[in-house]
Amino acid sequence: MIFRFRRFRTRILFLFLGLLSLVQAASFYAVETANLRNAHQQIGESLETGARVFVRLVETRTRHLAESVRLLSSDFAFKSIVSTSDRASILAALVSYRQRSRADVIMVVSMAGDLLADTLHPDETALSQEIAKLISAAEEDEHGEAASLAFMEQQAYQMVVVPLLAPDPMAWIITGFLIDDRLARDLKRLTLADVSLLVAPAEGSQPPFASTLPVELQQPLRDKLSGSGWQPDKSFSLKPGGDEEYVTLVTSLGKSGTPVLAVLQQPIEEKLRPFHRLNRILLALSLVGLLFSLAGGVWIAHTVTRPIATLAQGVNRIERGEYGHTFHLPYRDEIGELASAFNHMSQGLAEKDRVRDLLGKVVSPAIAHELLNKGISLGGEERDVTILFSDIRGFTTLSESLPPTALLDLLNVYLTEMSAIVEMRGGVVDKYVGDAVMALFGAPLSHLDDADRAILAALDMLQVLENLNRKFKQQGLPPLDIGIGINTGRVVAGNMGSQNRLNYTVIGDEVNLASRLESLTKEKMYATKIIISAATLQAACGVYQTRHLGEVIVKGKTRRTEIFALMGTPTPLPKI
Amino acid sequence: MHPLKFFNPAKLLPILLCLGLLSERVGAASLEGVVIDKAGKPVGDAIVYALPQKSVQSKSPPAATVDQIDKEFVNRVTPLQTGSAVNFPNLDDIRHHVYSFSPARTFELPLYTGSPAKPVIFDKAGEITLGCNIHDWMHGHIYVVDTPFFAKTGEDGKGKINLAPGEYEVYIWHPEMQGKPEENTQRVTVVDSGKVNFTIDRKRVWKIRRAPNPAEGGGYF
Repeated sequence: MIFRFRRFRTRILFLFLGLLSLVQAASFYAVETANLRNAHQQIGESLETGARVFVRLVETRTRHLAESVRLLSSDFAFKSIVSTSDRASILAALVSYRQRSRADVIMVVSMAGDLLADTLHPDETALSQEIAKLISAAEEDEHGEAASLAFMEQQAYQMVVVPLLAPDPMAWIITGFLIDDRLARDLKRLTLADVSLLVAPAEGSQPPFASTLPVELQQPLRDKLSGSGWQPDKSFSLKPGGDEEYVTLVTSLGKSGTPVLAVLQQPIEEKLRPFHRLNRILLALSLVGLLFSLAGGVWIAHTVTRPIATLAQGVNRIERGEYGHTFHLPYRDEIGELASAFNHMSQGLAEKDRVRDLLGKVVSPAIAHELLNKGISLGGEERDVTILFSDIRGFTTLSESLPPTALLDLLNVYLTEMSAIVEMRGGVVDKYVGDAVMALFGAPLSHLDDADRAILAALDMLQVLENLNRKFKQQGLPPLDIGIGINTGRVVAGNMGSQNRLNYTVIGDEVNLASRLESLTKEKMYATKIIISAATLQAACGVYQTRHLGEVIVKGKTRRTEIFALMGTPTPLPKI
Repeated sequence: MHPLKFFNPAKLLPILLCLGLLSERVGAASLEGVVIDKAGKPVGDAIVYALPQKSVQSKSPPAATVDQIDKEFVNRVTPLQTGSAVNFPNLDDIRHHVYSFSPARTFELPLYTGSPAKPVIFDKAGEITLGCNIHDWMHGHIYVVDTPFFAKTGEDGKGKINLAPGEYEVYIWHPEMQGKPEENTQRVTVVDSGKVNFTIDRKRVWKIRRAPNPAEGGGYF
């Protein structure tokens, strides 16, 4: 069951809380079940103890009764009375002795089985079945004694029988105490459990003959016990009536005679109260723990995801090209390290960008690109390149009439425009030599129409110069006049200089010729600002208005080359 | 008529001699009683007694004694002829209270030491069970029969009765015997010596603990 959360923060939070709640729930559940089991066990144990106490109590009372009746049986006066067989006297003696022993009943039965006297039924002469059974049990005993529960007129008595030995057995003395609610209450005080005594289900289905339960629960208890589903001497759950649950223990009393069950019960709710309280505390603690976990989770998620979000923003900026942005994240941990690394990276990128930019400014962007990509190595390659030289006429004179700073500004304005044109036409500015501009068309990158580009660039320059001069005039500055020379030919293009200080440029005779052509524009006789060589004209694809100017011999060379004045294009160029 | 008128001493002597001889001739035969129980074991302390068919005049029985020694009756079983006088000397240094509720002779000798002044006369046949009121375990039996011809069996279960030859109804009695003696009689004619066998059934007897009993006491289970 993994939910996919978009936000890392929610993911972290969910995982955190999920795990914690699982642990809390598991431990709460474990403790609760352990508690409940413990409670049941404790109640069961206390009931078992109660049952043992109960059985012992009954045994003790029986023993006391047996002892008291034994004393009676060794009373000489009593023996004398019984030997007379005078019923009235015997009964009177029993009544008197009953006071002494505080028994509920005393009887005397002859060895032949005749009821001689019975304090409970003074006029009765027939021996009841129960007593007869008791006497039979005594006859089998080695001391001639027996004890058991007997029911007489729906009342339960714990009876004890001993022989009257004088010294031969003369009669049976039977005595007993009543088992009723008084005993049950006494036992309840001792065992702290509700006590019920009832005849075993096999023998009957009357309600308990002694019980501390409220009357309305007594018959339901009997009914519930009539069914199976319980084992003697093992605690189990019972709802005698209604919803109250009792932990119940059933034990049987009396080895001989009518089987009687003693039922001890304790309501479980009462006993569970402390455990419930404990559970409630536990639950409260769990919830508080969960709340704290929530807060902690939120806080941690926040402290982790916020800096990450910030850094992500920063990365986005870099992606957009905004280098150099740094963040101040004052963490000492891994996030702090990441932020610091990011800052360094950003600054590094910014610097590299500046360098690149600068390089592009120092050399043209195309050359910068060439240098960066192809590496810096001295040496060059032969290429066909069109070289354009331009120069301001009478610059020295100009420099005398302007203050140096103004001059520089003027120059910069002019050079900016000229460079822009070169760049626009796909050429590169090789270098500035004072006020002269040397531009290359065809190196480092070449096009099919490099010559045309150069020609058009020259024409653009003149046009732009006109605009500039108008502006200068408005500013009160002197107008400028330039000359341009263009040649096309095979040159060597590459890095020239030393390893640490180099310059991408072209060298060769053709370069010199271009420069020469530019200086020829000074010649009044040519009356042109732009002179191009035949090679350039041939290399160009377009049609241009030109004027043949004749031939020149390149200085120091023997070759003659034709030159032309460039006047314009058949169709006017678009205005710049 | 005054008895002395009949029996003047001169005439009396030969008669007495004859009687004496007769008496000798009275104890001339013997009858042995052998008693075993249902398990075949010999029964001691059983009284075998023979009632003659022809009534015999017997002299008064001699006095008998039942001692109390070390809180027990000695002997446990004492057969007597009716009319016997019995002494109950207390040979212990503590008092005893001897009693009996038996229908044949109900009596009591309340707390005494030494010998009671007068003996107790047992003039009815039957069994008398003796007890001591203080010491519950003290048991003794006196069995009174209407004949002088009786014997008590020893541990071997045998008892010899000296009697005159003749016909007798022989009975057996034992303190723990089931049933009445009348149910188990045997008619025997004794010439010289005779033997009579009895098998008896023991009835259940309950134990009384002899004090002091160190195992008990304290009221604990």
